[in-house]
Amino acid sequence: MNTLTFSEARHLVARTGLGAEWGSIKKLEGLPIPQAVEFILSPPPSYTKPPPYMTPWRQMEPMRGEAMQRKDAWVRAKKEGENLQAWWIDQLLTTRSPFTERMTLFWHNYFTSSLQKTQQPSLLYRQNLMLRQNALGNFRQLLRSVARDPAMLVYLDGYKNVKASPNENFARELLELFTIGIGNYTEQDVRAAARAFTGWGVNPGNGHFIFRAEQHDNSRLIFLRRAGSFNGDDIIEILLQHPRTAERVVEKFWHEFVSDAGPARRTVMSWANQFRKADYDIKTLLRVILNSPEFWAASNRGNLVKSPVDLLIGTVRMIPYPRLRHSEMVNLCRLLGQRLFDPPSVKGWEGGNDWISTQTLLVRAAYLAKISRGNLNARVDTGLRLPAKEGQEMLDWLLAVPPVNPLPDIPGQRRLAHSLLRDPAFQVS
Amino acid sequence: MDRRHFLKLAGALPAAGFVPEVLAAQQPSAPRQPRQNPRKLVLVRLKGGNDALNTLIPWYDYDYYRKLRPRISMPDQVRNLEKYQLKNGGQQSLNPWLKDLMPWWDKGQLAWIQGVGYPNPILSHFESADIWETASFSTTNQGWLSHVLPGYKRDLHGIVLGGEELGALSGKDCYAICMKSPEVFLSQTNLVDPVQPNRRLNPALSHLTNIQSQVVSASNQLATKMGRPRPIGPWRARSEIGRQLESVAKMIVNGIDAPVYLVELDGFDTHANQLREQNHLLEYLGVALNAFAETMIRHGQWDNTLVLTYSEFGRRVEENRAGGTDHGAASLQLAMGGSVRGGLYGEKPNLRRLDNAGNLHMNIDFRQVYGTVAQRWFRQSNPWGQLGTLPFV
Repeated sequence: MNTLTFSEARHLVARTGLGAEWGSIKKLEGLPIPQAVEFILSPPPSYTKPPPYMTPWRQMEPMRGEAMQRKDAWVRAKKEGENLQAWWIDQLLTTRSPFTERMTLFWHNYFTSSLQKTQQPSLLYRQNLMLRQNALGNFRQLLRSVARDPAMLVYLDGYKNVKASPNENFARELLELFTIGIGNYTEQDVRAAARAFTGWGVNPGNGHFIFRAEQHDNSRLIFLRRAGSFNGDDIIEILLQHPRTAERVVEKFWHEFVSDAGPARRTVMSWANQFRKADYDIKTLLRVILNSPEFWAASNRGNLVKSPVDLLIGTVRMIPYPRLRHSEMVNLCRLLGQRLFDPPSVKGWEGGNDWISTQTLLVRAAYLAKISRGNLNARVDTGLRLPAKEGQEMLDWLLAVPPVNPLPDIPGQRRLAHSLLRDPAFQVS
Repeated sequence: MDRRHFLKLAGALPAAGFVPEVLAAQQPSAPRQPRQNPRKLVLVRLKGGNDALNTLIPWYDYDYYRKLRPRISMPDQVRNLEKYQLKNGGQQSLNPWLKDLMPWWDKGQLAWIQGVGYPNPILSHFESADIWETASFSTTNQGWLSHVLPGYKRDLHGIVLGGEELGALSGKDCYAICMKSPEVFLSQTNLVDPVQPNRRLNPALSHLTNIQSQVVSASNQLATKMGRPRPIGPWRARSEIGRQLESVAKMIVNGIDAPVYLVELDGFDTHANQLREQNHLLEYLGVALNAFAETMIRHGQWDNTLVLTYSEFGRRVEENRAGGTDHGAASLQLAMGGSVRGGLYGEKPNLRRLDNAGNLHMNIDFRQVYGTVAQRWFRQSNPWGQLGTLPFV
């Protein structure tokens, strides 16, 4: 393979963007793989629009605690949360850099925090900006930012973690989900890590990170067989020296970009080594993955179920169908099991085949039918302009793998598109 | 149910016109061990946390109950209405708005399971609801019925009406569908093309085609059996829960082969104005369950139907300042059916012995109720066997 064919360019665009956008595919078609990958890895700057109004932390926080106002806080957080979801939907629909959005969503699912638990939309918004800034940066820096992130401090109760009464929630997830994973630490390590993070909190006045030295436990700890008076950053550093941290990041990337199945042990070790050698530079890891034979293997085409965001947003980014209102998109995300800023648990969205159930399948079908309906008679001009020519070119563009069901007998570009959207093959990327 | 029992029941039916039709339809293809009337479970989710103490009023400690709930206790005059006192009901009275359920209690076909909960109660709606739906305390998306039904039968396991959550029916081994109503479902499935499940495709497409064929097959079954549905007879419950149970009744009567139906009544999170809010909801519930039971009897389906309510938690014993109650712990469950052994199960709430948060203690683990359904109703192995079962069925 010297230069990318249309189908190969499509694969790269669909896996790293939002929808197989014709223009993006055409830009990459004919380029050598490394060059195309560099193009993806150097996205244009992505400006975010101003956020909707959100009640500031200092006003919301007392309401959350006060029994009589809890309901008000909840109602407000719900409404503002929906506005914030609509803000991200808008970002996803309009961005010039779908790769940035996709990576932000990836990290949101890696370092989860939810509206449900925090009831602080303004903090979730700031967390989103932080994830964006670090999305293609350095994993160490990202981890350190996450540990200081106010939404995370509330979500995993870090702000309640003080010398007199340590709270283990964040420390446990840091070890179990964010870094080395279960089986590589003891309960005593969790307790030690929790103590190292004592005093890391949220400033009640402005909702920013604050370190309260008087709440910090300076005592000598033993963490992963090392002894010392540790603070949170020391813990992170020790975790980054453990080989499992890079390996687990690699596994998550594999499932996002390559396949639900696998990865092979030697692939994990090789990629993790390269990741660590690059001092946790995220772009380097992505470069390794997107240039790898595994990423390009024929068996790994069209083998990932599109996430709700990929399906809802990607389809209308690909094809200029009329778009639904943002609020409807927010609602559809909920029905399809991907409430933005609100993953179901600290483990995030399971993803993969889990996206498809009898109920989500119907919602997906209804959405696709709704946007692609309209006059299918080729002689009637509906104003819908499709870039691909009827026939094989449409198939190659709209589907990652051949359709499961037979194609319509009646010719016509719009009818074919409508029919391909109904095919199970449209649900995979 | 064996065949003789079924025939006896069918023969006893007033609606004579329908009997031969059933037999005619089912005799030719009847296997050696016929199961014309397989057992059904109808789960009623009382969403928001139903208050136990205003569902069954504790006459045995009424003055103390009034003291804790000066504004939201059932008013005194109700006490004089003898008819709401439950016979052999441990000095408890049915909430008057549930009066439609009275005859079923008297017939011995209604059971109340009291003090149901789990150790170390969690007072978050979402977390506690997840625990109830999954019978698990760790995050999982396997509903409790996914541990029971896959061994019980193949194909369709359950139908969820109204709500959008599969809840107890979620999980990869459970084949369940959600619908607003059979009619709406059929209109939605018009958009889904038939497809052959195909294991030779990649795992993602193989999963997709499998789920899609399930949807299409459920849709075909509904279209065939309910295209010209056998009428269920008069139905007077017009609330939302009433409509949902009407749909369930239609599907059972028309022979849809789902062993479980899940309906939902939302609004039990009564932090304010509880008396009015909860009474309304209970009235909807009572009227709907009564209509459902009468319909099942009319069609000879009552003996093989078990209705079971559940709620994510009960409520605080003491009322709050807004005339409501906050999230609590132990609650109660209702079980109804022609094969139900009516009566009280578990211990009556002890208002004088509360936990640190002012909540009722549990004395029955909710998984005992699930185990009872698994073992004594569906005759499956009991995933929660070590907790034992209850003899309400």
